[in-house]
Amino acid sequence: MANIDLISLSKTYPGQIRPVLDRFSLNIASGELVALLGPSGSGKSTLLKLITGIERPDMGDIHFDGKSVLSVAPNKRGAVLMFQKAYLFPFLNVAENIGFGLKVMGESPKTIRREVARLLDIIGLPGMEKRKPSQLSGGEQQRIALARALIVQPHLLLLDEPLNSLDNTVRMNLQEAIQRIQRELGITTILVTHDLNEAMAMADRMALLINGQVAAVDQPMRLFQQPPSESAARFVGITTFLKGSLAHGTLRTDYGNLVVNTNGHAANSALFAIRPEHIQVQQHPGQNAIPGKVVGCMYRGEHIEYQIAAGDLTVRARVPMPATMVPHGENVFVIFPPEYLFAINEQFVRHSSTT
Amino acid sequence: MKALPTYIIRFLLYGVLAAPLLLFGLYAFSEHWFFPAFLPKDWTTAPFTRIVMDPQTGNSLAASLGIAILSSLLSLLVGFPAARTLGLRNFRGRQVAWLIFFLPTVVPPLAVGMGLNILFLRLGLAGTLFGVVLSHLVPTIPYTIFTLAGVFASYDENFEHQAWVLGATRLRIFFNITLRLILPGLVVAGLFAFLISWSQYLLTLLIGSGQVLTLPLLLFSAISGGNPTSIAALALLFVLPPVLVIAASARYLNQHGNTVREQH
Repeated sequence: MANIDLISLSKTYPGQIRPVLDRFSLNIASGELVALLGPSGSGKSTLLKLITGIERPDMGDIHFDGKSVLSVAPNKRGAVLMFQKAYLFPFLNVAENIGFGLKVMGESPKTIRREVARLLDIIGLPGMEKRKPSQLSGGEQQRIALARALIVQPHLLLLDEPLNSLDNTVRMNLQEAIQRIQRELGITTILVTHDLNEAMAMADRMALLINGQVAAVDQPMRLFQQPPSESAARFVGITTFLKGSLAHGTLRTDYGNLVVNTNGHAANSALFAIRPEHIQVQQHPGQNAIPGKVVGCMYRGEHIEYQIAAGDLTVRARVPMPATMVPHGENVFVIFPPEYLFAINEQFVRHSSTT
Repeated sequence: MKALPTYIIRFLLYGVLAAPLLLFGLYAFSEHWFFPAFLPKDWTTAPFTRIVMDPQTGNSLAASLGIAILSSLLSLLVGFPAARTLGLRNFRGRQVAWLIFFLPTVVPPLAVGMGLNILFLRLGLAGTLFGVVLSHLVPTIPYTIFTLAGVFASYDENFEHQAWVLGATRLRIFFNITLRLILPGLVVAGLFAFLISWSQYLLTLLIGSGQVLTLPLLLFSAISGGNPTSIAALALLFVLPPVLVIAASARYLNQHGNTVREQH
């Protein structure tokens, strides 16, 4: 358990021009679970390798409890990484795999046996000591890998998309298991994932990693509801952005005037955004309504997903069920309730790479 | 219905492979086998035991074994880092490195042997067992590198990273993880090197300068001597160790080759 400071880390791989990480800074409090979320190639795995010491940063520093660990070798750092694949040593059985970390530290066989049994209990697979990795299911392999990481009582647990190759039910089970164990043991954890739902479900805080930098970091709910920047907004599934000039609580856009909560926002040009599930679709006009035409509608079970063309703007809206389905081609009004429209402070930079 | 042709083909193949050995067997354990007789008249183990008991045979067998084992171990030692780098890393000049390692297999051995001979004479290695071992590395190293590079091409370094972050030292990772994971590949590569060194004639002759007598050299001189019984007996003796080595490693690979199974 440790307080982790990642200070302005930069890393460029040889032969590449763009840095994988570009002055990346983040603080992780002791016992906290921070999810690191970003598109593939955004440097998430590289960051974990820097923290463990498998790779070295070009610049920047890593502090565990205020002390730099850059000169500490990976086998002494106490930051244990768990990969997408379980990487159980195929020639060792389950008990030998879990006990590996203790064995290399020279613990006695008795202690190792006791600790292995305790860890198997914690991960919910008691009595599996003698099995071979090849006899285990994917989910079981990952549980064993988790036990093997936890047995050394690491300062920091790093999870590199550990659930990605598992099917949905197993995945949900393991998400709950990891969260429970993490809370019980109070172990500082960084979870790397590109699955927004997983990050939101498991994390105390969520950091968005875009182009090698932290684009946003906050509690999942706040980040999901009111992302601070356009790229962050796109990452959490917001696709409707309204640009216009702001005057007296009214946003003048190309599509019409909208009433907004300004919250002291004084700039005369402004960008507002809204989550797709907050947009209403109806067939009669109203406040903050923009006329449009249904160009796509999909029934998704819990909601209907509309694509509505309003001028050159395509609005994606999620209307929760029950609702009547407005067919394709129909003229409708898109309502942007003022309480859900929020300002984005970032300047109008379009990140074409983020989707 | 389909079984019959495969049987015939199989039988023919085995026949073709076994025929020379069978013939050697007949020659080695008989005397006075002359033309019109279909099979030898007098069966005897006397000439075979005479050749096997001959101290020269024993010495050359020991020399052959020693040289083959030493040069296969040495070529594994040299080949391992090269193969690991070639298999796992992408670097500038990788193709050139491949070419250089591949070169000894294309350059005529006679040219290499003459050059080495001159060099080894100066270094005082000509005519020594160690000199012969070193010269055998020329043809064995390319094969160990190719075999091991293939193993490393499908090798996942994250096994090592995993052990590392769990607290293992580099030395421990090498012996407990890396070697364990690639052991089947090491066995195959070592086997190749052993067989190549075992049947090496030219380099032993040139570098050994007649002082280092291995089984192939003995066999050649027997062939020029023209006594079919001693040729046959020596040939059988020459074939036996590789067959034993191959059988043992095939057995090992059958048991352990599958342990490194793909997870998930």
